[in-house]
Amino acid sequence: MSAEISLQRSRAWYARLLRLYPRQFRERFGEGMEQTFADSCWRRRTEGEGLLGFVVWVFAETIVAIIGEHVTRLRRHAMRDDAVRFLKTVKYSAIAVSVLMVAGILTVMFLARGKTGDDGDIAGVVAPALLLTSVSGVVAVVAAVRQKRAQRRVVHP
Amino acid sequence: MVRNVQSPLTPAVLHILLALATEERHGYGIMKQVESDSQRKVRMGPGTLYGSLGRMLEAGLIQESEKRVDPELDDERRIYYGISALGRTTLAAELQRYSDVLAVARRSSRARSTFAHVS
Repeated sequence: MSAEISLQRSRAWYARLLRLYPRQFRERFGEGMEQTFADSCWRRRTEGEGLLGFVVWVFAETIVAIIGEHVTRLRRHAMRDDAVRFLKTVKYSAIAVSVLMVAGILTVMFLARGKTGDDGDIAGVVAPALLLTSVSGVVAVVAAVRQKRAQRRVVHP
Repeated sequence: MVRNVQSPLTPAVLHILLALATEERHGYGIMKQVESDSQRKVRMGPGTLYGSLGRMLEAGLIQESEKRVDPELDDERRIYYGISALGRTTLAAELQRYSDVLAVARRSSRARSTFAHVS
């Protein structure tokens, strides 16, 4: 009877220990881990092997695993944060290039106002600038979309 | 789904793949099979086991099975895991790698003398 009680107590303490896992991991594997722990304890009891040493070992092993899971999670978050920061830089750089190009095109158009002949032909300048503006715009949109996706993954990993 | 399988596999991952190569098992079943396969030389606690299972699921080496046994014989909430096609390929490649290394070691005269000392 006392062995039964100590088994139940060990299981209850193990369930408490499992709460230290990251939430997502705990929700996915917590029940299975608790069940596996209980099964292992039960088998040791029926085989007449000592429980205390085993329980201490499993607790120590699980604490190391909990720390490992948190470290892995933090590393992944750091990598995603770096990705978000990089995409933000790309997005704002592309927007800046687009704005500068538009300003340049407007300035050239303003300066060429009223001029005729070769002096008034600004197509050679405006066409590449327009192309660069379009490319920058596309890059900015793609970076913004990917940044949003990366941010969503950070919030809901 | 992430497909990131590093070679060589960790001992835990290799033992789990070996345990699942023959049939689908739940966590405790895997633990028992690993102990049995290694003649109780490898002890795997729930922390290592489920941490490895999580990474293996993410890498696509294993998958959760639809199998649920008779609740009267077993707990129907138990999740069974099975090896995937990628898992089988990875296990075969890893075993081949071990086999190649062993062949090289056996060919080496230095290794032969080491074996002589051991045996």
